[in-house]
Amino acid sequence: MHNVVLLTIDTLRQDAVGCYRRDGHEEDKSLTPFIDSVAAEAIRFTGMQAVGPYTQASFPGILTSSYYLDWGRQKMCPKERTLISEVALRAGLTTAGIHSNPYISAFFGWRRGWDYFYDSMEEEVTDEVPYVTGDVINRKVARWLEGHTAGGNSAPFFLWVHYMDVHEPYVPTEDYLARVDPTLSLSPEAMMTLFRDVLLARKVDDREKVAQLRALYRAKVGQVDDYTKELVHLLQEAGVWEETSFILTSDHGDEFAEHGGLSHDGKFYRELVTVPCLIRAPHQTEAGVSDTVVSNLDLPPTICHVAGIPIPDTFQGRSLLPLDRYEAGPCFGEAMDKVGAHEAKDNVPTYYCQQGPCKVIYREREDRWDGYNLAEDPAEQEPRGMDTPAFEALQALLRPRLRRWEKD
Amino acid sequence: MATYEISKQRAQELAKKVATSKDVIRDALERFGPEASAVTWTGGKDSTLNLWLIRQVCVEENLPLPHIITIDEGDAFTEITDLLIRLSRDWHITLEWLCNVDVLRACQSKLGGEVKVADLNGRNQQELARIEFEAPAFPFEAESYAGNHLMKTVPLNQFIEEKTITALFMAVRWDEHPARKDDTYLTEKEAGELSPAHTRIAPILHFTERDVWDTTFLHHLPYCSLYEIGYRSLGVRSTSNPLAAGVAAWDQDLEHTIERGGRRQDKEKAMERLRKLGYM
Repeated sequence: MHNVVLLTIDTLRQDAVGCYRRDGHEEDKSLTPFIDSVAAEAIRFTGMQAVGPYTQASFPGILTSSYYLDWGRQKMCPKERTLISEVALRAGLTTAGIHSNPYISAFFGWRRGWDYFYDSMEEEVTDEVPYVTGDVINRKVARWLEGHTAGGNSAPFFLWVHYMDVHEPYVPTEDYLARVDPTLSLSPEAMMTLFRDVLLARKVDDREKVAQLRALYRAKVGQVDDYTKELVHLLQEAGVWEETSFILTSDHGDEFAEHGGLSHDGKFYRELVTVPCLIRAPHQTEAGVSDTVVSNLDLPPTICHVAGIPIPDTFQGRSLLPLDRYEAGPCFGEAMDKVGAHEAKDNVPTYYCQQGPCKVIYREREDRWDGYNLAEDPAEQEPRGMDTPAFEALQALLRPRLRRWEKD
Repeated sequence: MATYEISKQRAQELAKKVATSKDVIRDALERFGPEASAVTWTGGKDSTLNLWLIRQVCVEENLPLPHIITIDEGDAFTEITDLLIRLSRDWHITLEWLCNVDVLRACQSKLGGEVKVADLNGRNQQELARIEFEAPAFPFEAESYAGNHLMKTVPLNQFIEEKTITALFMAVRWDEHPARKDDTYLTEKEAGELSPAHTRIAPILHFTERDVWDTTFLHHLPYCSLYEIGYRSLGVRSTSNPLAAGVAAWDQDLEHTIERGGRRQDKEKAMERLRKLGYM
């Protein structure tokens, strides 16, 4: 059995990660030089799709290899889900989960299977930074690592760390903001006003304000890169980095008016569901780039694979490694069509299916099927009807999934 | 208990706090009247102190007691139940036991057993719809959000409606957690879909955890034996854990450790975080 570290970064867009910059933009300074350096030693997946566009809808994929609405919409983690922590624990690894996101806290039933679990819900936070920051998370990791490796203990572990630093409200410190835009000067109060008046209201008409929000977001990305560097150094100092497989991904991205909205609502465009994913497993696989369209529910089976433990039947995904044996297939996702801060009572599901460059999104509210050919229309601005065999095929795959939890 | 020492100065401080609570209680009873008032009593240290204070005021003012209610969530410590029974007898209280029997019936009172929504009565189904719970079933256990709501909130709302209660006395304190810091002695609760408008009264807001224990010992108030063996906070049995096993609650470091650290995470904490993150 081998150590595995899973680092998930909330709200991190794939295109915010330097090594993912699209052709023609390489001269833009990377926001994430450290993550880029890890990518150089890893397999970088360009086609990783989250099963949901916001935390509650995406983490079922990342931690349980299942879909958000498999058992209907539930606030608590359904008992039917098998968490990767439970699988690892049963196989004999020590498990630890360290994060600050309320949706995946013990209160909502996500504590299962973790020997050590810190969800920060007891801590006091501010309005400007309503979570525990990466440096404090890292200190918790350091303490835990110290305890785990004490006395020369080399028992294998599965450690999951989650950073919230990129999540709104975006209130970066001056130094990180200056790296992104030295001309932009906003007080924390002004940043909170932007958060309340523009982001929470989902108002995209003032393009300058949206651009400011985006600059603040990018500043936070720079900061989370530094936290990632700190984490890897911790692992190196503890002497475990070389033997540890390291997986980095994000649960979803963030919208900056690409489709008339902000933040991360119930939509399936690429800015939300196409996420960064790096797998560094030096003893098991070489570095490289994979463009295969894959799902984040393949991550739990992958974690089993690199840890060297059996993959349970309850996991719906399959291991991404070894890469040449991964069978590409359609990727699915689902969420409630919430928009804005307030979840409406009448939210209904929305779903997507992607295979290769073809993607179909179904919205129950309008009973509308939209097809996108991402090779021709990567910005997803030209929705098409189900007028080609490719789209019809995806529609046929997606139909049986609609409201399937009501059928038994 | 014999060694619990309270200095004269401390006794004077506590007397002031008790007086403040009694003022709140007296004003509330004058305004709403005992018949339209109810007191929730869990058997825990805070609600027992709260009840004692209310009882003192009623004796002093020659008023009948308000309705005293306790909610059976289906997973009680026997030690707590014993305390409730014993104290009701000793203090001559007619304790009204509330329980969402419909839920227990649907799972044959089995902890962890499955409750099918279709088996529940109309009111329970409405309550589930109100919290946007859409699954066809839920497990009857403390971690079940739906189950918790039905066992705790529904019997209380029903009681308030049926007895036309306009004032509800609760034993909450400011130092229980940061979200409470702006709470006031009286809070008007608007009418909801399934509960009428009423006022919530919190007479012991200004008591700290240490104040509660000191007052309990000063006045020889009874408390549950579980506190002696290390429980700091007593909720339902399956999710309350002693914080420092073997160390009596009052001997623990109350100022630097978390009282509810032995309980499952508070809904309020999670909700407050979600709100700040822009989710509510």
